[in-house]
Amino acid sequence: MKIIIAGAGEVGLHLAKLLSFESQDITLIDNTQACLESAAQQLDIRVVKGDATSISILQGASISQADLIVAVTSSQETNITCCVLAKQLGAKQTIARISNTEFLENQDNIGFKNFGIDELISPEVLASEEIRLLLDQSAFNDSFQFDNGALNIVGIQLTRTAQIVGKTVQEAGELHPGVNFMPIAIQRYGTQYTLIPRGDTLFKDGDQVYFTTVDDGLEEIYTLTGKIKQSLKNVMIIGGSRIGIQTAKSLLQGGFRVKLVEMDGEKAFDLADQLPDALVIHGDGRNAELLAEENIHEMDAFICATGNSETNLITCLMARSKSVKKTIALVENMDYFQLSHSIGIDTLINKKLLAANNIFRYVRKGEVVAMHMLNNMNAELLEFRVHERSEVNGKLVRDINWPRSSIVGGVVRDDKGFIALGGFQIQPGDKVVICCLPRSLSKVEKLFE
Amino acid sequence: MSRLNYHIILFVLGVLLVINGGFIVLSSIASVINDEPDMWLLALSGFVTAAIGAVTMAVFSKHKKQMASREGYLIVTFGWLIMALSGMVPYLVTTDLSITDAFFETISGYTTTGASVINDIEALPKGLLLWRSMTHWIGGMGIIVLAVAILPLLGIGGMQLFSAEAPGPSADKLHPRIKDTAKRLWLIYFGFTIAEGILLRIAGMNWFDAINHALSTLSTGGFSTKNLSLAYWNDQPVIQYIVIFFMLLAGTNFVLSYFAFKGRIRKILMDEEWRLYLFFIALFTLIATATIIGKDAFAASEYNPMVWGANEAAFRHSLFSVLAVITTTGFVTADFTAWTPLITILFFGMFFLGGSAGSTSGGVKVVRQLILIKNSLLEFRRTLHPSAVIPVRYNGKAIKSPVVYNILAFFIIYMLSFIFGAIGLAADGLDFVTALGGAASSLGNVGPAFGDLNPLSNFANLSDFSKWWCGFLMLIGRLELFTVLILLTPYFWRNR
Repeated sequence: MKIIIAGAGEVGLHLAKLLSFESQDITLIDNTQACLESAAQQLDIRVVKGDATSISILQGASISQADLIVAVTSSQETNITCCVLAKQLGAKQTIARISNTEFLENQDNIGFKNFGIDELISPEVLASEEIRLLLDQSAFNDSFQFDNGALNIVGIQLTRTAQIVGKTVQEAGELHPGVNFMPIAIQRYGTQYTLIPRGDTLFKDGDQVYFTTVDDGLEEIYTLTGKIKQSLKNVMIIGGSRIGIQTAKSLLQGGFRVKLVEMDGEKAFDLADQLPDALVIHGDGRNAELLAEENIHEMDAFICATGNSETNLITCLMARSKSVKKTIALVENMDYFQLSHSIGIDTLINKKLLAANNIFRYVRKGEVVAMHMLNNMNAELLEFRVHERSEVNGKLVRDINWPRSSIVGGVVRDDKGFIALGGFQIQPGDKVVICCLPRSLSKVEKLFE
Repeated sequence: MSRLNYHIILFVLGVLLVINGGFIVLSSIASVINDEPDMWLLALSGFVTAAIGAVTMAVFSKHKKQMASREGYLIVTFGWLIMALSGMVPYLVTTDLSITDAFFETISGYTTTGASVINDIEALPKGLLLWRSMTHWIGGMGIIVLAVAILPLLGIGGMQLFSAEAPGPSADKLHPRIKDTAKRLWLIYFGFTIAEGILLRIAGMNWFDAINHALSTLSTGGFSTKNLSLAYWNDQPVIQYIVIFFMLLAGTNFVLSYFAFKGRIRKILMDEEWRLYLFFIALFTLIATATIIGKDAFAASEYNPMVWGANEAAFRHSLFSVLAVITTTGFVTADFTAWTPLITILFFGMFFLGGSAGSTSGGVKVVRQLILIKNSLLEFRRTLHPSAVIPVRYNGKAIKSPVVYNILAFFIIYMLSFIFGAIGLAADGLDFVTALGGAASSLGNVGPAFGDLNPLSNFANLSDFSKWWCGFLMLIGRLELFTVLILLTPYFWRNR
């Protein structure tokens, strides 16, 4: 697949990295030499220096043969222009990263496809959606929905109180005979590699476990892991960044009580204007006295979304020390991701990673409906649609030659989720959710091609 | 700041004189129709006024077309004064009123107050009566430009909030689009006036009374052609309901009326100021009706015949009086000060309400009350959250605190002016109630007041000093305080 990425920022680079590992044919366009040089050294890709809206540069990157162009520069105007031009110059599919959420809200009546933009991606909206989902399922530190909640995948850290600690997967299943949940990935405390659990895998204290669930499975997971479903009400958001605003908006719609802390006086006024239902505080979120004055100990969740990763981490730790139940930090630097669980912050969010993952599904072979990266692990979740000609069509799950490091998380058939055990027969039109490690990705893809 | 551009100020004053002269000539038509002996005097004073204006214009025709806010203040204040000074000439040449009385009557006209010092109005020549109503109407036209176009640019008393397209207060030069906005609103003003005149004629007034009352209603003035004011038509409820309806319109922001013609009804219904304005009217009418219904104070008499029954009359007089005071029109159908002490104190409070901003009514204006009340209530929340940013919201938009301070300052200066006004009148020997009422009425451009100045009496018995004092209060109240008072500050006259 020939892919052109315009913009070698964090999203662009991350995307290039993901794609180049799969030996896709990548061309990276950017204005700055330095970014390109480091990319060219680390990755097996072609780099072109120049303006992504220049026709000659695009033609130089052989745009007419491109299957996909992803415009992810920091300027949405550049991205839109680039996509419009690329489409006219022969690119098959175009994706533009935007920052103005109005575009997304009016996607249908404006018809961006008409002038050549196939998909709009807003990292800010993705991040705020993610945060909203995490707060709705507060006991979990990671959460994915497939087909509007027909199938859920949640991540949870086991503590000693959990019933299943010390038991094998098989024994845990016997505690709840209905098959409403299934573990699909485990990361042992303090390690960085991912286990695909089998029947004899043991649950241990401190494990980060991902479960797929359908129907009442969520409730069973609560009892199994000894967690209590907390209903969150009071949320404090630090930083009136775009993510901060977007998150506040979506939380307010969901009936949360939101306090938004912003350092800049004029910006705080604008926020108060935009968000009449939120309480906007003008002050420094790092100031413990200010937070105490605004009752931080009564907050159920604390979201730190300033532009500075370190500020976000430290402030979240401070909130944690004031016994806030749920802390979420926005982090730009991907290296910090590995710290997440060991330092005690519930969840780290990286908007660029979210955007890259969201874009990544367009380049999968076979028909990928959705894809996600498990937080802080190298496992991926993929949702494939089954075709008549797919290799898996009509077979029982146990008869399919799955790669060793992959597992069927579940199947969505007619908007209803199923946990697919060995005896489950796959039919055309099914959407199959697979959890797999990157090394077996291409094998899995072949099964669905 | 550069030097004041006196040339343009004088040029504009010349233009105003020509306009004024034209209107005086126009009102002499009533004299001609009625074949009054002094018709030529009236027309002549009009021609002389216009001629003086034309000469002034000619002399200063080569002015620089540059105007900043300081010139704006001077033009507004001296514009009103020069109108009043030239407008008193018809009174002087056709009656034996003193200069004080003539000036009081004209300034009361131009400021759309409607307080009178003439005891027998019906004895005046028709041409002069028409001119008297005309001064209201011209004043109302001036107010529309002032409220919609000039004050927002000068940023006075939070007025920038209420204008049609809310231009920023930073603009130092007056905006060219002012002309367009003002023209549209004048058209509505003019249209409403014609409509009311025709409706009143149909309802049974003669043409002369109909036109006079239409001129006087839309400008929220209050001069009538009858000694009894609107009480003259107490046996014709239809006439009074027509006047009620047009008082309601006159107290509504003309920009909203403009939206109504554009079909943007939603925008009107959602307007917070308009809703509060209607709420006040409904509330006070309800209280007043409930108070006087079936009471002796309202027994049928020759003066107050019960055409459609006593209950209807109680409602009509309540609604009429509430609107007359809240829109600061000051027409009278009944003496509300004679009802009950509760009504008297409520009406006194209403003297400070005023109609909507952008209407021709005076007073503090509903929107300012709204913002002040909201701001005061939010102060509780702000105390609990000292670092929070909790702005006052008006029509869905957050208001910056300088604007709120501006409105606060306006309110405080308004109250101070009221207190000083009352002290001035008391110093002249008026009793407590009369002094308070006279000051509130003059400052709010209402017309009738309390005590010796109740709706059935007038300002004729005041001393010369009190008349000038009230005239001054009317002028500063009408021009939103800052416009006039700023001329009294030393900063204004410094060149830096």
